[in-house]
Amino acid sequence: MTITQPSGPELADVHAITEQVWSSFLGDEEPLLPRFDAEPFFPAETVWSAAVSVHGGWTGTVTVELSSGVAQSLTRLMLAMEDEPLDDADVADAVGELVNMVGGNVKSLMPGPSALTLPVVAAGRAAHSSELTEVARFDASWHGEPVRVSVHAPQS
Amino acid sequence: MSKILVADDSKVMRQIVVRTLRQAGYSGHDVIEAENGRVCLEKALAESPDLILSDWNMPEMNGIDCLSALRSGGNQTPFGFVTSEGSEEMRTRAASAGALFLIAKPFTAETFQEHLGGIL
Repeated sequence: MTITQPSGPELADVHAITEQVWSSFLGDEEPLLPRFDAEPFFPAETVWSAAVSVHGGWTGTVTVELSSGVAQSLTRLMLAMEDEPLDDADVADAVGELVNMVGGNVKSLMPGPSALTLPVVAAGRAAHSSELTEVARFDASWHGEPVRVSVHAPQS
Repeated sequence: MSKILVADDSKVMRQIVVRTLRQAGYSGHDVIEAENGRVCLEKALAESPDLILSDWNMPEMNGIDCLSALRSGGNQTPFGFVTSEGSEEMRTRAASAGALFLIAKPFTAETFQEHLGGIL
């Protein structure tokens, strides 16, 4: 008998996790709005992205992509900063922590035991191994700018 | 006044933990910070905090290894995890290593009150 791993979490779970992380740390004043008609390409010219991988009972990668404006706004909110200048290290820290929380919660939903990597953050689109395919994608907008959370897993 | 050691490799998350402690009514305590498990271990031994709140996944030394090193050296400082991974498996591992609780991110001030009430 061959046991194949579940391909990944349900889209509804990715949606719920992302909204919970968002509202806990960024408040409900400006909610994250799901976009069900999002284009396949990421509609922003300047993008921050972050990825964490899970290895073990379930293997996959979770990525978060944000427009530069969203990345900067959420960093200011998370650090409770107003007009002080932001440096890239602060933005990388905040975006990395966001994917860490989403990835950690996805890991908890999938079969274990498994390990979560530390986040990798980049100024640019997220990259993932060519062995992985996208199994869930949640598109949203915040302050009118795009946010995308994707889950990638090996093809079964 | 108690001393609380907050360990997380993310400065943003350390700041959020400190802010949440304040929102949960634990302001006025002396908070010290560590950016990884190795520094957490050093500060736990050197500064004798009353409580350690630690991330699990950190570079250099992770939180569970830090806790194990403390306990194997006879140090019994109350220790709780604040981590993005809240599965039953992680909670069991945390409890077996001697952690009092595991708070999963994202969290609220109420979650902090629930777990810290009897400690601080």
